[in-house]
Amino acid sequence: MNCSQVDFRMNRRDFFGRFGLGLGGAALSGLMAQDARAAASGPFSGILPAGHLAPRAKRVIYLFMSGGPSQLETFDYKPELVKRTGEDLPASVRMGQRLTGMSAQQASLPMAGSIFKFARAGQSGTWISELLPWTAKVADDLCVIRSLHTEAINHDPAITFFQTGSQIAGRPSFGSWLSYGLGSANHNLPAFVVLISKDRIDQPLYSRLWGNGFLPSQHQGVLFRSGREPVLYLQNPDGVSGESRRKLLDRWAEMEHLQHRDLGDPEINARVAQYEMAFRMQTSVPDVMNLSGEPESVLDLYGPEARNPGTFAANCLLARRLAERDVRFIQLYHPGWDQHGGLPGGIRRQCADVDRASYALITDLRQRGMLDDTLVIWGGEFGRTNYSQGKLTPTDYGRDHHPRCFSVWMAGGGIRGGVSHGRTDDFGYNIVEDPVHVHDLQATALHQLGIHHERLTFRFQGRDYRLTDVHGNIIRPILA
Amino acid sequence: MDKVGGPSVKPYHPDGLWQMTMGGGQYQVGKGDDLYRRSLYTYWKRTVPPPSMMTLDAADRSYCVVRRQSTSTPLQALVLLNDPQMVEASRHVAGRTLREAGVGTERQVRFAFALVTGRRPSKDEVAVMGRLMDEQEAQFQKDLPAAERLLKVGDKPVPGEHPPARLAAATVLAQLLLNHDEAVMRR
Repeated sequence: MNCSQVDFRMNRRDFFGRFGLGLGGAALSGLMAQDARAAASGPFSGILPAGHLAPRAKRVIYLFMSGGPSQLETFDYKPELVKRTGEDLPASVRMGQRLTGMSAQQASLPMAGSIFKFARAGQSGTWISELLPWTAKVADDLCVIRSLHTEAINHDPAITFFQTGSQIAGRPSFGSWLSYGLGSANHNLPAFVVLISKDRIDQPLYSRLWGNGFLPSQHQGVLFRSGREPVLYLQNPDGVSGESRRKLLDRWAEMEHLQHRDLGDPEINARVAQYEMAFRMQTSVPDVMNLSGEPESVLDLYGPEARNPGTFAANCLLARRLAERDVRFIQLYHPGWDQHGGLPGGIRRQCADVDRASYALITDLRQRGMLDDTLVIWGGEFGRTNYSQGKLTPTDYGRDHHPRCFSVWMAGGGIRGGVSHGRTDDFGYNIVEDPVHVHDLQATALHQLGIHHERLTFRFQGRDYRLTDVHGNIIRPILA
Repeated sequence: MDKVGGPSVKPYHPDGLWQMTMGGGQYQVGKGDDLYRRSLYTYWKRTVPPPSMMTLDAADRSYCVVRRQSTSTPLQALVLLNDPQMVEASRHVAGRTLREAGVGTERQVRFAFALVTGRRPSKDEVAVMGRLMDEQEAQFQKDLPAAERLLKVGDKPVPGEHPPARLAAATVLAQLLLNHDEAVMRR
């Protein structure tokens, strides 16, 4: 990482390592200037202390619905599809779209309308399904994008695409880019925190989804778990008291300072700063995870599940607590949306898991005046087919993966509320108005954070990389 | 461990990590010598790679790297101070120190320092380490059960020849050394 202070006593090897590659005096002064900037901003700052433009949002809470929620049972109302239930999907609608191996071999593709009812919600009259009665109460805070589309058709590449801007693993995650760009606003907690709902795993979540890729590893997402040790290796070894550890760190720091006196390597001081942050995290992490100080009224807002650690509701409340402490990127995963079969039962359960807590999070943030500068995103990695995978009965059906259209909502952070953006056809199969690509969503989120998505780059393997690769258009109509 | 070759091994690993992301699969921590092989032999699951290695900048095998990143992060401090692998290794260094260095704090800290860094400590360094030994020993003397608990971290049985407070203090000294710039940073 960059050094924490300007240090003119570099050792010989450090000096030649940095200046011995034929760089002239101009480059040297440039480097000194860079060090001076880093010095001005400290060890936890990003490369863009001021951003590119005035930010509308300071942080992101991303409620990732892993598995691919059906848009047809949640936010994309298709009465015509309901009427045509049982008819075969017309080739003129499918237009050669590839299918996954799971439904490609079916003799027929019977269209299946939602068996759940829809109603208009809020002043805006946003169409929302009966499965999401709580979410409907905050409809006027939501911008529902019904025209998301992606290039990936299977879970891992599709989630990886959303998180890193590439279907191929190994690029930095969204939160890592943010940490790299804007740094940490809290010196007691990581800038990028990950929370996963327990007991809902159906498709794997790979830890590289919150990986730093080729960015320095201090930008990696840190998984907070419910239970005794929320962050890996957070607890002192058995038998080591807080006092013993404090004294160890004091003596250790003295040794490091002696070392620095001899070697002059600024990296030594950077490590001392990181050890101090680790020590502070041993207090600050359990403190943020401890919900006992939350008033009853707040716990009630999130519902009974909020008292059950590891649930989506508890994690939403934690997300608010992390946001309050200025953690930049809070990534929740709620898995379990992969309803290839038995969709009505499955999605009913999933919606019940997330509905009230999503409402509560928006409401809680608004009540605290934090919705204005917190961008909340809710959505999965792709949508689901308008035809039934497997047998269609009056009460049961399944849906396969569908990348051509699906729904995502955003709220707060300078995004217009009470808006429905984009439109799909009457079959709920293709987009007919205002398509929004994954890179467009990413470009828009970065824009709200004050970052021009084309200008947050990192040079690796000979080229500049960015979250939006070489794509991305800001969705102007949804900006407040 | 001098042994070369053989199947992969499963060293210490945080509880429940596999279930958290994979919904199945139980990490069965290995026994005996399997806990102390070079990390080259550590079992690697692509979906949940060994977390301490990821924290210490191992490439995640999704792309080619010519050179590892070199970073400093708070999570690295937590691994190097609290991972049972590191704590047990510290106790091992401490045991050797008390056994081989002879009597007296100065001799012992000099020995431990040389063992870990490969050079002799300066006078200032000896003074800092000596102070650490005194402080820690006094503290563990007041709370002997704590010393016993620290010495129980890890699978290897503790030889009973050393007073627990002394061995625990030397373990903390070894922790300092295994976290010291000279032991961690490659220049």
